[in-house]
Amino acid sequence: MSQMILTGLLCGALLGFVMQRGRFCLTGGFRDMYIAKDNRMFYALLIAIAVQSIGVYTLIQLGIVEFSAGVFPWLAIIIGSFIFGIGIVLAGGCATGTWYRAGEGLLGSWIALFGYMVMSAMMKSGPLASVYNSFQAVQTPINSMAETTGISVWVFIALFVVIVIGIVVRELRKPKVMIPTMKPKRTGLAHLLFEKRWHPFFTAVLVGLIALLAWPLSEATGRMFGLGVTTPSANILQYLVTGDQAVINWGVFLVLGIFLGSFIAAKASNEFRFRMPDAKTSIKSFIGGNLMGFGASLAGGCSIGNGLVMTAMMTWQGWVSLVFIILGTWTASYFIFVRPQTKKSAATATTVKTA
Amino acid sequence: MKKTLEVLGMVCPFPLVEAKKVMEEMTSGDELVINFDCTQATESLPRWAAEAGHTVTNFEQLSEASWTITVKKK
Repeated sequence: MSQMILTGLLCGALLGFVMQRGRFCLTGGFRDMYIAKDNRMFYALLIAIAVQSIGVYTLIQLGIVEFSAGVFPWLAIIIGSFIFGIGIVLAGGCATGTWYRAGEGLLGSWIALFGYMVMSAMMKSGPLASVYNSFQAVQTPINSMAETTGISVWVFIALFVVIVIGIVVRELRKPKVMIPTMKPKRTGLAHLLFEKRWHPFFTAVLVGLIALLAWPLSEATGRMFGLGVTTPSANILQYLVTGDQAVINWGVFLVLGIFLGSFIAAKASNEFRFRMPDAKTSIKSFIGGNLMGFGASLAGGCSIGNGLVMTAMMTWQGWVSLVFIILGTWTASYFIFVRPQTKKSAATATTVKTA
Repeated sequence: MKKTLEVLGMVCPFPLVEAKKVMEEMTSGDELVINFDCTQATESLPRWAAEAGHTVTNFEQLSEASWTITVKKK
């Protein structure tokens, strides 16, 4: 138990710290692919997937880590991921993002987190468990891409790594725009840790390494998976209302660690403050949190569990989920950001306007 | 001309969405002061300014989780 608490909190704290300092926001990243035509954060995610993929499959090869891909409940994955994508735009952050923003003192994220935990618990052990089960029934037996095609998983990994290296080289060769920064007030390590802007690709490598570290740490406590956020978040609530210790696992301490690590990073960088959103944002956060919990539970993972981990494991679940999460964020972004703008400009177009 | 935009309490990407909207109605050489408290905007606002070719004349942290940035329109 003490090992579970210690390594879970440590791994989570590292992740929370790195995500807070690196401003690693997948929701913003997916949204900006569409509204700003900016793929930087998506590429960063691909880097994190590649790092983890090479690492975990090396550990599997060495017999240190065990993994079974299981079945592929495709209907649940498609619908769940799409709904999750809509939810994270409304909530202003994905599941992990919401945990780490809660650690920065954003009360809107606390509200989203509450909706997310309640809905996840309802889906896993509450009145909506039957919905979950009926969707899960629609499945194909093989989830692993290597198994379906009969090609070694290393071929998939090699191909993916080549693509990622190609993207990174192309991105780094682009003429650099000087991004203005604040005048440094600190020096040395304190500057690097608590002030300096981190390059998203650097943050991505760290996220990939932490995702890799999660596997042996988690498996040492009997939980045979890497990073995961949704089930542990539901487990916290299940434990709090039933007192059943059986629902406590490594993941529970992982998510609590994310909160803790982000709080430490924010506090040390003078970025922690309780911030209260207005009523409209609060309601949006709550609805977003619920959609997030419903979608992630149905899809068996969020943007971390499916988007970062199951993708690295080269499963259909991971990649199909990632595509539909992104489509969900684009759909929500259209209604929240794009349509109000085009409507407004259509209204002003009648009056003569010079650009 | 100098204009101030208060986007305190607004979460990303709204500070940026608002800033872009206000900037459109300004003329070249005008300065826009944006006061914000969304951490992620410390990345998105200066990046937008740089990529759009505007000049950042001031960028500093005011207090715990509170920042100001001044962008001069190109």
